[in-house]
Amino acid sequence: MAQKRYGMAIDLRRCVGCEACTIACKQENHTPPGVAYAKVIKQEVGQYPHVRRTFLPILCNHCEHPPCVPVCPVGATWKRQEDGIVVVDYNICIGCRYCMTACPYGARTFDFGDDYNIPQNDFERQPSAEYGKAWPRNGGSPIGNVRKCHFCLHRVARGEEPACVLTCMPRARIFGDLNDPESEIARLVAERRHFRIKEELGTEPNVYYLL
Amino acid sequence: MKQRSLVIAYWATLILLALLGLWAIYLRTVVGLRVTNLTSLVPWGLWVAFYIYFIGLSAGAFLVSTMIYVFGLHRFEAIGRMALFTAFVALVTGLGFILLDLGHLERFWTVFINRSPTSVLEWEIHFYTLYAVILLAELWLLMRRDLIRVGQEPGLRGRLCRLLALRSTDLSDASAAADLRMVRILGTIGVPVAIAVHGGTGAIFAVVKARPYWYTGLFPLIFLVSALASGSALLTFLTAFFARRKDAEHAEMTLALGKLTVGFLAVDLIFLMSEMLVGWYGGIPDHVATYRAMMFGPFWYVFWIGQLGLGALVPLILILNRRTGRSVAWVGLAGALIVAGIFGVRLNIVIPPLTVPLQPGIDTAYPLGRVSSFALEGLGLMAFRLGLLLFTVAVAVLLAGLVRLPRAVPLRAAAALSAATVFTALVLINLRLADLAPATQANLLGPTSRVSALPLLFGGAVRSSDPSFYSPSMWEWLTSLGVLALAAIAFSLGWLWLPLERLPEPPAPQPRHFSGFSPARGSER
Repeated sequence: MAQKRYGMAIDLRRCVGCEACTIACKQENHTPPGVAYAKVIKQEVGQYPHVRRTFLPILCNHCEHPPCVPVCPVGATWKRQEDGIVVVDYNICIGCRYCMTACPYGARTFDFGDDYNIPQNDFERQPSAEYGKAWPRNGGSPIGNVRKCHFCLHRVARGEEPACVLTCMPRARIFGDLNDPESEIARLVAERRHFRIKEELGTEPNVYYLL
Repeated sequence: MKQRSLVIAYWATLILLALLGLWAIYLRTVVGLRVTNLTSLVPWGLWVAFYIYFIGLSAGAFLVSTMIYVFGLHRFEAIGRMALFTAFVALVTGLGFILLDLGHLERFWTVFINRSPTSVLEWEIHFYTLYAVILLAELWLLMRRDLIRVGQEPGLRGRLCRLLALRSTDLSDASAAADLRMVRILGTIGVPVAIAVHGGTGAIFAVVKARPYWYTGLFPLIFLVSALASGSALLTFLTAFFARRKDAEHAEMTLALGKLTVGFLAVDLIFLMSEMLVGWYGGIPDHVATYRAMMFGPFWYVFWIGQLGLGALVPLILILNRRTGRSVAWVGLAGALIVAGIFGVRLNIVIPPLTVPLQPGIDTAYPLGRVSSFALEGLGLMAFRLGLLLFTVAVAVLLAGLVRLPRAVPLRAAAALSAATVFTALVLINLRLADLAPATQANLLGPTSRVSALPLLFGGAVRSSDPSFYSPSMWEWLTSLGVLALAAIAFSLGWLWLPLERLPEPPAPQPRHFSGFSPARGSER
């Protein structure tokens, strides 16, 4: 079986900045306040009357050469051989946050243990299903761990798309295997003009922004 | 009588601070990192700054000791053991701070089983361990004969030293010479290890290409030089005020140590200037933004007043000035100022680069700003307020007595300065507690304005709507205060009980001057 290289293409001409991806991600992964894997940078360009709002959805780039991985003192984060997804093992991570300073994209967030509601509501009490396990929110991991986007690994394992891709109303997000030349994402990346963020750092991001 | 009350005041203050701190540390371990004001934008703060600060003090003090035992600068010999002991206490203190900072501190030991050879941080943990062994071995070898001698005395001190002598009984000159040979070997191994310990701590930051301010080849070297400056400054301060034997020789050595410190400080300033000129000239946005945050941000005074003013300019004047430069007390005070100033350097290494958003707009893309969502409530809060108020009054009384004690002007100045600092800090904690509200949803969802926990000391009445704004929470300060007090207690106990200064040789049958690093050198003098 050929090695997979999962990536995402985000069509900036389609994105309307509705932030449905941000919400879908938070619901899917039961993330607490201050933890978000998918975000949208919203900026204003130009001056009245020639003014425009730009949207840049950001998430973990699942880089080919992720700078966050080698710095981990306990090897709790790595790039998976089989599909190129950068994961964190919550049971190994000691919470030193070195990887957060090393990521050039600000893709990693730390779970400080805050909750939206005191006491937690029913939704918050439900465990997160990340990495195919149940992570209840009762003091232990993932509280005190660094958390990041994992392309909804637990959904991908079931053959589903990541939550942000599924929910995207204008279908701006395309998820797939970049190593498969027949996949939609590989075709789009080959055909359309695109950029990746901070390519000059040599991280080789796997999230492509189509123009 | 006065002396006695001073000693009581000293211990009472330290023990109370340590108890307060231990309580805060207990809360931090129970509640987790929720007690901090750290965010996902600024994930490292006060504790990491303290960590690199103490590792630097340790490496600096150790390297000063190697000058004596490896490179043969015998004029500093009187502070050799003090340097090693200081280095050990500082190392443990630094590691204590990084332990506090871990999200899962119960897993700290797994760095020894979960291998990750590409991580600078993991290499550092190993270097710290090796370094601690070398420090302890050297210190023990140097104190061995005196431990045996003191161990013959009755009482607690005698018993402790007897225990620490580890059944060694050999008091002969030959054994002492062998000890010194061993110390020289250990010290020689220790030099590259100490360089790895602090240069490597610098490399933890320098390998991060995401932050241009850290990502320079000069960065680990700046760590080393500022470590040497802070280490020798600390020893200058300690020997100026805490040496038991104060004679002409001691004065000469202290002044020479002060001069050495100035040399290191000068190199440190040159490195700083080089970094800043290259950074500003290059104009890379993140790099310049870091300098802007550091020099003109809400904590501008940490750089201008702390790092450059009190930490460099004033001590340089004090040591190089002809009048004050001849006074042990003034030079000692200059050392204390440099030690404090280097803490400003450490804060500015850790925090400003993190406050610069990694991409324009990433800080406002999602509410990542947060403040500690932990607060005392009800009876606990009332008890804490009352206790702190009583404590503040008690400390005020003690400090007022303390300030009037010393005769010498610089000592008075130093006492007044430290008394004022401690008192201000306490008053401000009290004030801050007056408006401590329990956790609400509002301050979890990214507050629009955040006030620094300890005005004046850190942030004044700075209000900020910037999500990247970070100032340590009260809990971060209290735990830090506790660790500092514990370190001071450990140091004081060592100073009281361990033979950190060479005991006078018993008259016969030994030769009057034992001074040898090898038998061949024993005849020098």
